[in-house]
Amino acid sequence: MEQARLSARQLFMLAILFEHGSAMVIPLGVDARQDVWIAILCGMVFGGMLFLVYYRLFTYYPAVPLTSYSQQIVGPFFGKGIALIYVLYFLYIAARVLRDFGELLLTFAYPETPLFILNAVMMITVMYATYKGIEVLARTGELFFFSLYLTAFLGLALVMMAGLIDVHRLQPVLEEGWKRVFKVVFTQTLYVPFGEMVVFTMLFPYIHQPEKAKIVGCLSMFLSGINLAVMMATNIAVLGADTVSRSTFPLLNTIQEIRVANFLERLDVLFMIALVVGGFFKISLFFYAGVIGTADLFRVKEHQRLVYPLGLSVLLLSIAIASNFSEHIKEGLNIVTVYMHVPLQIVLPLLLLIVAAIRHRSSRFFFTKQEKSKRG
Amino acid sequence: MWFQWKKQLKKTTKRNEQSGQEKNGINRTVESELQRNIETVRNTTGNSVDVVIRRFLLGKEEGIPAALLFVSGIVDEEMIHQFLLESVVQLTVPSSYCREEALVYIEQKIAAAGKMKRIKRWSELFLALMSGEVILLIDGVPEALSVEAKGGERRAIEEPVTQLSIRGPREGFTESLATNVAMVRRRIQNPHLWLEAITIGEVTQTNVSIMYIKGIASDEIVEEVRRRLQRIRIDGILESGYIEQLIEDQTFTTFPTVYHTERPDSVAANLLEGRIAIFVEGTPFVLIAPTVFIQFFQVVEDYYARFDIATALRFLRVLVFFISLVAPSVYIAATTFHQEMIPTQLVIAIAAQRESVPFPAFVEALMMEVTFEILREAGVRLPRAVGQAVSIVGALVIGQATVEAGFVSSAMVIVVSITAIASFATPSFAIAISARLIRFLLMVLAALFGFYGILIGIVLMTLHLCSLRSFGVPYMSPLAPLILSNIRDTLVRFPMWALTERPRLINQTNMVRQGNDQRPKPPNQPEKEGDNH
Repeated sequence: MEQARLSARQLFMLAILFEHGSAMVIPLGVDARQDVWIAILCGMVFGGMLFLVYYRLFTYYPAVPLTSYSQQIVGPFFGKGIALIYVLYFLYIAARVLRDFGELLLTFAYPETPLFILNAVMMITVMYATYKGIEVLARTGELFFFSLYLTAFLGLALVMMAGLIDVHRLQPVLEEGWKRVFKVVFTQTLYVPFGEMVVFTMLFPYIHQPEKAKIVGCLSMFLSGINLAVMMATNIAVLGADTVSRSTFPLLNTIQEIRVANFLERLDVLFMIALVVGGFFKISLFFYAGVIGTADLFRVKEHQRLVYPLGLSVLLLSIAIASNFSEHIKEGLNIVTVYMHVPLQIVLPLLLLIVAAIRHRSSRFFFTKQEKSKRG
Repeated sequence: MWFQWKKQLKKTTKRNEQSGQEKNGINRTVESELQRNIETVRNTTGNSVDVVIRRFLLGKEEGIPAALLFVSGIVDEEMIHQFLLESVVQLTVPSSYCREEALVYIEQKIAAAGKMKRIKRWSELFLALMSGEVILLIDGVPEALSVEAKGGERRAIEEPVTQLSIRGPREGFTESLATNVAMVRRRIQNPHLWLEAITIGEVTQTNVSIMYIKGIASDEIVEEVRRRLQRIRIDGILESGYIEQLIEDQTFTTFPTVYHTERPDSVAANLLEGRIAIFVEGTPFVLIAPTVFIQFFQVVEDYYARFDIATALRFLRVLVFFISLVAPSVYIAATTFHQEMIPTQLVIAIAAQRESVPFPAFVEALMMEVTFEILREAGVRLPRAVGQAVSIVGALVIGQATVEAGFVSSAMVIVVSITAIASFATPSFAIAISARLIRFLLMVLAALFGFYGILIGIVLMTLHLCSLRSFGVPYMSPLAPLILSNIRDTLVRFPMWALTERPRLINQTNMVRQGNDQRPKPPNQPEKEGDNH
């Protein structure tokens, strides 16, 4: 672990940027059609519950990241195994998001640029950020938090001014009942972006005021849930559920609809800002968690030494994980969710929590016994 | 190889120093025989003609041989003649005094001169002599008396050249440290305004002073500044830029992490904010530390003008900085990669202009930017009279001929001009020049990756800015890390009565600038009778 301290506000902003990350630009949970905003809000609620699991683990071990306390909970052998799995998971997801990002950029603006180059440029930035450490990343987050919000409000204001919003497109609400919504929640929106808060199990030890960790996590999830829901609802209100569910980038299509005063049109650059900034923070945090986890697991004193080898691996991995975009998307929806998100975001943390709770209870029991014997 | 050579160099310099010291007798003390003392001075200074040795006989009756030593040009010669020489020559040392006591007698008797001290060692004597003091040697006394009589020609106080203002004091610092310090003292008349002097430079022995307000400035930062100044080992300090480069936190950055100013009111304001000023003899530029990024967009006039105007101007300055940073790269990106983002009519106009241009947009932009940088550099170094000619040539070359010849499009000319004006409008030259460097980097990125490149460049720049520190204070504070109570005086400036707290740096104790009740109100109006019916 680095020698660093983050304020609650910094962590909050990082969490917001992280949650918005790629979720802002991809068609998040569009299988729920016009009820997508409900699916996102439900995802937020269940994600919040998952977060409470991570938070509870943090309260048991406030000074160390997941990769350390897993060893304390289930012993060094299994603990190290779990830590290794998590490190690989973080790095793999970093590579996945990087691939997502590169593919989006490729299809949307740079059809003739090789994917590797686009990814490499982004990865260099991410590596620089990780090299500089979490404090620098957090400060950068503070600056971009405001610029991103400003861009978002500007975009929303323009959409409204252009008179694109038709609330009737959001109706009928719950056309096919809750079943479809919950199907989307438990296959998509719960894990991306809300379950991905599992990364913060690596970052919470840095928080300066540990008592604020809970409110930071809950508030950031709540706010980003609302934001994402509003954004997807806007997309549907502008484009209609049909177009959105077929679109690769609903947000881009919405922005492209904007035409104000015959001058403000084709504001694709707004989308690009959201894409690059969001992508950067998402990849950076996953990558940082992977690097710091590796450093923690293998007792590397300076995490900077791991940045170059791991960065290169993630870059190559981002190219190698799928041979084309559709394969990548299919992997993401079918395989990654079932074999990675569910076990690593839900099952393992729950198991760890149960074991930790039992251990703490028994140790408390043990201690009280000891005290009693001392007194006796 | 290298180490051996360095070792050898060290040895030889050491030997030289030793032999030099032996020859000059720097470590020895003043002897009692006047003639030998004068010989030593002559030998050490190499008979330099500006070292004046004025021999005379002390006292009316006895006539003890004595000598005054001073360096002409850096002493106030009028004072030497009027007060020192006349009074010393006419002085009558009572016969009851022996020669050794004559010096003490003179020291006590000549009240006309200011600072005086007795010196025994040659090293001290030469330091005093070279810094503009007058040395009195008396035959038979193994001591010297140094009298301060600093003077000589200096530039008068003038309006600062680099930081002009419409409203505010018109005086700027000069090359004299004492004058500069006095200008600040006049503004802050408080015994807690402390001044520490140190000498830096093995050869030049330059006077450097640290000024801060005890109780407002954090002791920790003062100690850090002191420590960094004391560890400087260099032969000479000729300008505060030397010091700046030797004490800054990070060298490999284009952004300045130490602020410098020519204005005494700016220094006073910074001292009141708990910062520390470093004065250097021989330069009108005073260093301020610790510095944050946002300071480079603030000028003293912001506090003299009303808050709404100041706020608007600050926004303008940041916008201007941003334009000077990205304007050419946005042009490159838009014309090369993202034509669809330009309104149709405009894109047709630009395409029509660019039809005759044989270069890609990047080469076009690079050519024009480099031309402009050449022109600017030429204009800065040239004498004023020739500078006019440069600007005419520049205007013709940039403005017309290149477009008519079909080298560049006129849209590019507009972009270059806007960039240039924006870069001049950035209030601090130090930050404008770093923007100039980064601009070229962004142009390359824009040529390679369009807007994506520009965005990546900006993210990288922000990361870099956030990683900087100035004397331990994060460079981007109070924006990142966000300090809410300090946000009132950053990009915006709140009304004067709302600026109740000093900027938070490190471990200060005295944070309150003014009370909370400073908001001006109209006088209490008597209750109107009309209200009651």
